[in-house]
Amino acid sequence: MRKLNRIQAVGLLVLLLVTFALSTTALAKKPWEKIKVPELNEIKMPSYERVELDNGMIIYLAEDHEFPVVDLSATIDVGSIYEPADKVGLAAMTGEVMRSGGTEKNGGDALDELLESRGMRLETFIGQTDGGAFLSCMKEDTRMGMELLADILRNPVFPEDKIKLAKEQQKAAISRRNDDPMTIAQREGMKAVFGPEHPMARHTEYATIAAVTQQDMLDFHKQWFGPDRMYLVVIGDFDSKEMVQLIEETFAGWAPAAAELPADPEILDLPRTVNIVDKDDLTQSTVLMGHKGIRADSPYYAGVLVANRILGGGFSTRLFNEIRSRQGLAYSVGSAPGTGFRFPGLFMAFTMTKSGSTEKATDAILVEIQKMLDEDVTDEELERAKDGILNSEVFNFDSKREILNRMVMFERYGYPVDFLNKYQESVKNMTKAQVREAVNAVWKPEQMTIFAVGNYGEWDGDFSKFGPVTMVDITIPEPALEIPDATPASLEAGKNLMVACREAAGGAKKFAGLKTLFEKSELAATIQGMDLTFTTEKSVVYPDKVHTLVKTPFGNQSMVLVGDKGWAVSPMGNKDLEGEALSAAQDELKTDTVGVFRNLDDFQCQALEPTKVDGVLCNPVHVSGVGDDYQIFFLDAATNNVHMIQSPGQSPMTGAPVTQKVFVDEYQDVDGFHMPKVIRLLYDDELFGTGTIVEFKANPKVDQALFQK
Amino acid sequence: MPATKRLLLICVLAVTSLAAAGALAGTYLDLEDQIQEFTLDNGVHFIVLEKHDVPVFSFRTYVNVGSANEIRGITGLAHILEHMAFKGTSEIGGSDLKNELKAMAAEDLAFEDFKKARLELIPRIEKLQSKYDRLVGGIPADRRDSYGEVEAKIHDLGSDIAVDPSGKLTITHAPGMENEEVENFDLSGEEIAAVDFYVDEIRPLEQEFAEKEQEFEDAKDAAREFVVTNEFGQIIEENGGHGLNASTSSDVTRYHYDFPSNRLELWAYLEGSRMADPVLREFYTEKDGPVTEERRMRTDNNPIGRLIEIFQNQMFMANGYHHSTIGYMSDINNISRADCAEFFKNHYHGGNMTVAVVGDVKLNDVKKYAQKYFSAIPAGKPSVVETFEPEQLVEKRMVMKDPSQPLYIAGYHIKNVNHPDWPVYQVISDVLGQGRTSRLHKRLVKEDKLAVTAACFSGYPGIKYQSGMLVFAVPVKGKTGYDLEGVVNEEIQKIVDEGITAAELEAVKQRTRADFIRGLRGNGGMAEQLAFYQTYTKDWRNLFGEVEEIEAVTLDDVKRVAAEIFVPGNRTTAIIETEEDAS
Repeated sequence: MRKLNRIQAVGLLVLLLVTFALSTTALAKKPWEKIKVPELNEIKMPSYERVELDNGMIIYLAEDHEFPVVDLSATIDVGSIYEPADKVGLAAMTGEVMRSGGTEKNGGDALDELLESRGMRLETFIGQTDGGAFLSCMKEDTRMGMELLADILRNPVFPEDKIKLAKEQQKAAISRRNDDPMTIAQREGMKAVFGPEHPMARHTEYATIAAVTQQDMLDFHKQWFGPDRMYLVVIGDFDSKEMVQLIEETFAGWAPAAAELPADPEILDLPRTVNIVDKDDLTQSTVLMGHKGIRADSPYYAGVLVANRILGGGFSTRLFNEIRSRQGLAYSVGSAPGTGFRFPGLFMAFTMTKSGSTEKATDAILVEIQKMLDEDVTDEELERAKDGILNSEVFNFDSKREILNRMVMFERYGYPVDFLNKYQESVKNMTKAQVREAVNAVWKPEQMTIFAVGNYGEWDGDFSKFGPVTMVDITIPEPALEIPDATPASLEAGKNLMVACREAAGGAKKFAGLKTLFEKSELAATIQGMDLTFTTEKSVVYPDKVHTLVKTPFGNQSMVLVGDKGWAVSPMGNKDLEGEALSAAQDELKTDTVGVFRNLDDFQCQALEPTKVDGVLCNPVHVSGVGDDYQIFFLDAATNNVHMIQSPGQSPMTGAPVTQKVFVDEYQDVDGFHMPKVIRLLYDDELFGTGTIVEFKANPKVDQALFQK
Repeated sequence: MPATKRLLLICVLAVTSLAAAGALAGTYLDLEDQIQEFTLDNGVHFIVLEKHDVPVFSFRTYVNVGSANEIRGITGLAHILEHMAFKGTSEIGGSDLKNELKAMAAEDLAFEDFKKARLELIPRIEKLQSKYDRLVGGIPADRRDSYGEVEAKIHDLGSDIAVDPSGKLTITHAPGMENEEVENFDLSGEEIAAVDFYVDEIRPLEQEFAEKEQEFEDAKDAAREFVVTNEFGQIIEENGGHGLNASTSSDVTRYHYDFPSNRLELWAYLEGSRMADPVLREFYTEKDGPVTEERRMRTDNNPIGRLIEIFQNQMFMANGYHHSTIGYMSDINNISRADCAEFFKNHYHGGNMTVAVVGDVKLNDVKKYAQKYFSAIPAGKPSVVETFEPEQLVEKRMVMKDPSQPLYIAGYHIKNVNHPDWPVYQVISDVLGQGRTSRLHKRLVKEDKLAVTAACFSGYPGIKYQSGMLVFAVPVKGKTGYDLEGVVNEEIQKIVDEGITAAELEAVKQRTRADFIRGLRGNGGMAEQLAFYQTYTKDWRNLFGEVEEIEAVTLDDVKRVAAEIFVPGNRTTAIIETEEDAS
């Protein structure tokens, strides 16, 4: 049986009855201070119940019979912080497709029709640190609503068409993410404050969305959804006993979540960085600054909340009065205290200001914060802040939903039920010294990371006074091409395009007639701040011998392939190529551009949708079938020459998988061949180096000694 | 509510949904009986609903004036006035009223001077500047860079400059004193001519303008000496006010917050006195600062905002919906405090004000304090705008090329909220574009996967005057507004040709009932609804009649009205065509 833990009709919550005499000084009372303020009527805590089911589900219920409506909200211990870094977007899309895709019994579209014909609402979502579900229905639809909700939470099927739809929407959101400066500042600012890899800072990219599969969603759901992760809040026109029964019934037999809850990701104290996004279409700047704050169980919690009310958390604050009203620098300015219940919050200040006063406004904010550290607040400010907090406390109790959701939050994060009472008590007794102590313990203006978005050229300063400036590039990495299924028509078109390309490069005969080849190229790259040049000399004797010599500033290296044997030569000695390394070397000979042209019939060539690459209209052809990897040849639609070749590659620095792009910027004509002369090499759209083919010889004499061990 | 109307309501409900009718009749008809109202002699109308479960109350003050009441030259003023309503009264927000009013009068004069200078001098300077640009254009290309330095120097120095025939640049001092050489740039003949022209013709005007600007800035500072910054908001805040805000639309201006219920009298004092006795302090500071910034944020720096403003200008040619609520930048610049006072006098009077109070209050207390604090508001006749939007007749179309993402919008003219066809518009826009089962969502988002969002609503940009039904859709990545346009029009044509299904109509009715009940919950929601219906329909009871009106809509109504509005000559279309960044 379930444990029934009834907090029956709690009656009166002993709250502080807010009876602050408006003014004690009372020398010359202002007109509004003469108005009598009677004692506030008692705040009655609404009666509610807390029930814990055997399967671990926790339910808070409050009956409310004023209107024939039932509202249910579920909080679920799940979030995007639990998704893999290369699949950012998995959690959000799982939360969405649960509902949009529906279940075996009720597909998403049928569900839409059913709900909307009854005026019901049922939604699911997964956010960063929480997931949830929400149901609102007329009283007579309660059973149906609850059954639908339980079915969706337990048995989502994640159909492919709804996944595709969710992905399209995610992609559209990515394409629009730089439209609004505040969004840019918040998104990029989080990366600056938390560190770019932090689970609470990372965000979707085309690649992370593309990486998510149906199986990922099914797994993610199984891992994190279960009755033991659920907190329900039910409010409305029902009988609590019947409601609990209904919930038990509809959720009966649901297995607990498969994965253990991991520890929360840690938030580090990072030193200040100064970051700027230059966007020259803006006439105003958005500036955010912040650093890690504290949890609400810190002894300084009440202190910084009071302090923030004085600094920038309200209608009439130092920041507002000084920066907006007195100096007229900004339309919008404010601060957040830096507290959180689960995670330490972010102490933050922000402003939106015209371009010409960006540095001035930023500076003025930092000055105001520093003043909070250096000097006591005034008696008047303290009294006002306290009055504001204590007099508005009643609004913490004006909605049953708010009260019960707070209960859930306290329970989840381990706060006592009387947390608010204690908080009010501390606010009531707060002294100026305590405020200053809290501010000095938590706020560190010199540590605030600054993030500004605006038209940098129009600013009144270059921000270097705040620290070394990093210009942040917010260019959205382009999506990988989506390869549709090949059709006979697209394969034929692809082959024709590649034949045309080969013609433009010299023709089938020229390539077939190649017995030997010599190619010397130079690659200039900047690696970790050093400008380095690599020279490569490649000698080929077709069909199966290659000698490659790479001269680097750190010494020479060569690699030799003779049929089914190969070895590498370095200052450390010879090493035989085996397994993957050997087959990779063999594949390369067959799949470099000359190899493709020589053996075109061995490849599958699939034409893709024409697209613009750096402003050049290209016909992309997906070339595969030899070796493990594919290449996409982007052929200049006007000339049929290769404009760019994209392929999966490895970062030469980290070995991580990257998208490699080789652009041909200049061609040369040698011995009847039309071959690249200047190329650019990009990894994940970042320029790695520029190459020049300084020598290209068809059918030269090749020293056979090169192929001796 | 007349008894017959109520009877009808119950009957209609009984026919369509017996169970629901029972439940509804039992609750909200009771609620209707609990709502009380009174009108002060000056016309301010109060609606009160006592709810004593929590010791708080919410209110809405609706002023029956919005940007549609503005005429050309003062666009944006209703919104500016909303900002001014937070600046206090003769008792709140200032430290020395007598001297403050004097300083404000001086500020007004300085503004007029400055405005005159701006309107007269700037065009003259611009004209001379183009002459100057031609002179500079005559300088050989290889000298342009060095001349640029000369220009920078001249601007930096800011003092009187002369250039002597040998090409030396000098600072001139008072008569009789020797000129001081700055730097010998070895100026050529063309360059000397350009500098001379600038120094003799342009600079004096620039200086005159700068002087006027400085005088105005000084006058603003002088007036600000008497301001107790944000005192009005501060009083509300320290007394526990919650959700303090206001908003201006084309139709109305709304003010609201929630207060602990022991502060009812304080609220009446604050709200009554800001409506009866405002001091328009910090007028220019507010206009040049926050109001201007708001325009930048909403419109100038926001591609969709920019398009929407132009769209509105094009869709509505004559009536008050022609211009956006934020107003044109030049009007924001030129509006004076006297303009604002005049607008306030014309519209902020008893005939235009509705106050709804919901929560832990007693009717008699509200009456008592209303009498005491709202009676000073003058009486007046409700504001009306008499320019009617003529029939459109021609199809309008606009394309904005912008580096931002693509968008599709179409607007169709419809009648206003008090027209009998209004509920039919609501049914049409609901079936077409509200929710996941709407036709546009199903077709564009779910089936054809052309759009991320596709929606439709009635009442753009307002509902008081001849209004608009707006359809908008946001394409998925890789698709354009043009790709959506044909499909949207196809779906609209289907409604014209075939109407909607009985199931669709029934679903709208069911949703309307559910949403109606949801809308009644909470003090703020209830106050909002009461003030809304009172202001727009002259009777808050129509809140309870809306369900009934939707219930009465038939399939034939939908076909008739769809055929009437969905014709090309009644349509305005706007598209953002994504323009690749030049870079």
